[in-house]
Amino acid sequence: MSQTLAEKIFARTSGRATVAAGEVVWATADIVTAPEVSFPAYIRRLRGIGIDKLAMPERVVVAIDHEVPVHSAAGAERNIQTRKMAAELGVAHCLDGQGITHPLVVERGLIRPGMFVAAADSHTAIIGGTGAIGIPFGFETSLILATGKTWIRVPHTIKVTLKGTPHPGVTARDIALATMSGIPPAQASYRILEFHGPALARLSVWERMTLCGLCIDIGAKSAVVPADQACADFLKSAGASDAEPITSDPDASFEREIVVDLDTLEPQVSVPPSPIHIRGVSEIAGLPIQHAYIGSCASGTMQDLTDAADMLRGRQVNDGVQLLVIPSTRKVFMQAMAEGLLNRLAESGAQISPPTCGPCFGGIAQLAAGERRISTSTRNDPGRMGSAQAEIYLASAKTVAASAIRGSIADPREFV
Amino acid sequence: MQPYDGRCWKLPDDISSDQLIGAQHVFDFDPQVLRKHLLAEFRPEIAANAKEGDILLAGDNFANGSNHSHPFLAMKAIGMGLVCKSISRGPYRLSVFMGIPLLTCEADVYERIDDGDRIKVDFVSGAVENLSRGGGFSLQPLPPFLIEIVAAGGGLEHAKLQQGKQVDGPSW
Repeated sequence: MSQTLAEKIFARTSGRATVAAGEVVWATADIVTAPEVSFPAYIRRLRGIGIDKLAMPERVVVAIDHEVPVHSAAGAERNIQTRKMAAELGVAHCLDGQGITHPLVVERGLIRPGMFVAAADSHTAIIGGTGAIGIPFGFETSLILATGKTWIRVPHTIKVTLKGTPHPGVTARDIALATMSGIPPAQASYRILEFHGPALARLSVWERMTLCGLCIDIGAKSAVVPADQACADFLKSAGASDAEPITSDPDASFEREIVVDLDTLEPQVSVPPSPIHIRGVSEIAGLPIQHAYIGSCASGTMQDLTDAADMLRGRQVNDGVQLLVIPSTRKVFMQAMAEGLLNRLAESGAQISPPTCGPCFGGIAQLAAGERRISTSTRNDPGRMGSAQAEIYLASAKTVAASAIRGSIADPREFV
Repeated sequence: MQPYDGRCWKLPDDISSDQLIGAQHVFDFDPQVLRKHLLAEFRPEIAANAKEGDILLAGDNFANGSNHSHPFLAMKAIGMGLVCKSISRGPYRLSVFMGIPLLTCEADVYERIDDGDRIKVDFVSGAVENLSRGGGFSLQPLPPFLIEIVAAGGGLEHAKLQQGKQVDGPSW
């Protein structure tokens, strides 16, 4: 029987030869991730019902990534509890201040194509860029930690074909937003988006991760780019020595197909009040900004830092704008430092912080009423970054850098 | 699981997870604290006045956005049930996991229940009755295995009941 990539993953993880979309199966997670935000709360609840053992601690990743560097006594205490509980329970990977969970597990070689990753945090869909499927479970992750498995309705798959070649000012973020524009939430719910098309061969695994991570915000179950040889080689170099390509069977059954035309695509921006309110940059160019941010699990990659540093070469951040740049992991930070990117960004006026989720949920760098930020992060709900009367616009690192230079939302195609 | 009988708190389409509980509360998991923040900016009278047995009647795409557990911890602490026009898989699961019974309804049912109406909802059978204005509706209930989880009080409570039990099929 022909299978989609998602069907293959949930057949293997539920111990079956094949499964069909729509079936409910019990799947065993290959990797379970939880940040320090919630891990101690999960363990306290489990202990409260007499469970003091994780089913497969060797598959568990706990990352201290949300409040880094810690800036509250409560946070410091939470980190102590996180480290202590992880040690007591034999958690194999307790990663403290090493970066944001989703890019970090890929960078550490823990992810292979075809894996099912169960995560506490919403934006685990980013892992889809490697041919694995990441699905968020929130508090239910506590039970997956305890039992190793969960019920899953095998999702139907929407095939998204990327056609043509994007303009140099158009990035993976713009492709993601164009895809999201083409699929209303009612059609995305419970579905996996699976990307195809020759344009993918020109996207790095990091760019494919950006593409997948953003699509969860239309309410999809997740998104995935089938793993080609380039992806397998990338993961091998990260330490996943047995990474192999994987994709859907040629005659697998997709629920529907949509085509995204990259030839005519202009840079896209999510406008308030949510990421699914998407406009072409030309519609909103000129809107003044006071803040610009490049970072988050969906960005802050070497690609994004390079894009921003290239755009800022010989230019300065506008006097009226604070540009904050946060590499997504410590390794990216080190590499960006070694390649001189951080130096160039700082010379142009950017502030650089160590890897953290911070600004994305208002943990640091908050906004006041009436302020406006353009950001590469994942959500722009009112109040997400401080005042509910502040506005957040979401765009690519190129669009954010161009806007930081101009002092208002700007089309990066005028700068490349 | 007894039917819920209480006040309807009606919400429009596209209420996001962040509107239900602001992202600034992301580190807090105490249900008794979170219940005070439910819809704090949008409709603060709900946190102040909602009682056990009340129903949140929402439109399409309820609790969209970040897959945060906090709104459901708050609703559980209050003792509310949920009826909505549509909900994506993330919040659907969280509702079941927290032991909050839910039903989805068509637009005509949503239109025929007003904010403030007293309604009775049997989440096991799917029967909904508008005690204020009259009118009964029959909705598709959750699948039996999810009703079992909700009736136990949520996923962890269900797991506790299953501990040490021999069960057919997938065990906890």
